[in-house]
Amino acid sequence: MANYSTSQFKAGLKLMLDGNPCSIISNEVRKPGKGQASNKVKFKDLITGKTLEKTFKSGESLEGADVMELDMQYLYNDGNEWNFMDPETFDQYAINDSAMDDVRGYMVEQDMCVVTLWNNNPISVTPPNHVILEVVDTDPGLKGDTAGTGGKPATMNTGIVVQVPLFISIGEKVKVDTRTNEYAGRT
Amino acid sequence: MRDALRQKSDFFALIREFFASQGVVEVHTPKLLENPTTDVYIDSLSVEINRGIGLSQMRYLHTSPELEMKKLISSGSGDIYQICTVFRDNEQGEQNTNEFSLLEYYRLDFDMHQLIDDVANLLKKLGFADPIRKISYAQAFLEFADIDILNTDFITLKDIAKKHQLSSDFEWIEDLQIFLFTYLVEPKLAQIPICFVYDYPSGQSALAKVCDGVARRFELYINGVEIANGYDELQTQGDYQTQFEREIKKRQLLKKQATAIDNKFLKHLDNPLPQCSGVAIGLDRMLSQIQKNAL
Repeated sequence: MANYSTSQFKAGLKLMLDGNPCSIISNEVRKPGKGQASNKVKFKDLITGKTLEKTFKSGESLEGADVMELDMQYLYNDGNEWNFMDPETFDQYAINDSAMDDVRGYMVEQDMCVVTLWNNNPISVTPPNHVILEVVDTDPGLKGDTAGTGGKPATMNTGIVVQVPLFISIGEKVKVDTRTNEYAGRT
Repeated sequence: MRDALRQKSDFFALIREFFASQGVVEVHTPKLLENPTTDVYIDSLSVEINRGIGLSQMRYLHTSPELEMKKLISSGSGDIYQICTVFRDNEQGEQNTNEFSLLEYYRLDFDMHQLIDDVANLLKKLGFADPIRKISYAQAFLEFADIDILNTDFITLKDIAKKHQLSSDFEWIEDLQIFLFTYLVEPKLAQIPICFVYDYPSGQSALAKVCDGVARRFELYINGVEIANGYDELQTQGDYQTQFEREIKKRQLLKKQATAIDNKFLKHLDNPLPQCSGVAIGLDRMLSQIQKNAL
């Protein structure tokens, strides 16, 4: 991969930092009156998901990371790995269960997800903004309560718990926002 | 809109009043210079002039009026000040722009501390009411970053930088000192409304005198923002020549825009400068701090 100098740093650029692929979140240039310019850069580590901050002398460079984000269909989970398919090439990719921690509860078979590949290996998955999940356990709904005041926890078929309105009952399908883990309506 | 223009206009009027009351004379010096600046980390903008009349020449927009004003002082001008726009290439960011207003002034017979007191008086005149703190560069590093900056070698400083997730890829210790100041000390200065930092490491002397191992230089920080840079000025031709040669050599090593010594300036110093201290103040930054304080 090519090297990128600090003057090319911008949000979204993917670079290698301490052996991990990272994505630039922000890049702030500082220039003291009598000194050289420097760049204070915030990164997201694409493997751990953590935010990092590192400061460079302007003109330093980092190696680009071979990172691609592809739309893929989620096929199935075989217990150890989660399997996805690129609908254009029909190539299949398996991603390890340990990389699915934050998104496991939003995976619905056939849904289109964004899979991040590093050196052609999948490293993370971003589910669609909204997914349809089925309520498998919650306290009984209150008759006549359609205003949905308050709310109650409900366990979904994927195992996650989402706060839902009181009128939702077991067996219903609901829309969940995967970015906030919030109830987003009935289907 | 009109209010903002009025406020800026009043601000400039107060500055002029401050100097008029002390008999300091306003001057205007040339802005199209024959040589780019020798300052290692400041880049001049170049302009081609007179091409249409067959007299094409390269000129460089001044990055500071310093040398032109010192020519006046060496010719006997006495105390002078100038308010002007300066231009710097490759400076664009949250705190930097390619052109900004500078107030530069020189007081004869002043040493660094007298000039600091004078800038403090100017701040009062402009409405800054906060108490003023003065701290040496070494003390600031010790107090805010726990580093004995004047007695820590290059390799140890690089280790400290790495420990803080900061770059350590520097050619010269003075550059690393400045870098560490920016990231380890400046954020703490944000807690102090008005702070003068003085007595810099000799490697950062620029055009200031070095006495007892430290450069007689100061910087003014308002709410942690660098506002001004002042020197007890070098006086002799030899001292300026040495410093310019050092800077040009560094620029060559860094493969920066080529420049040359301003020989006309050196010629002026056949008569050395009188004892004087001078300061450059970024007026746009200063005004924005006044506005912030007013909120």
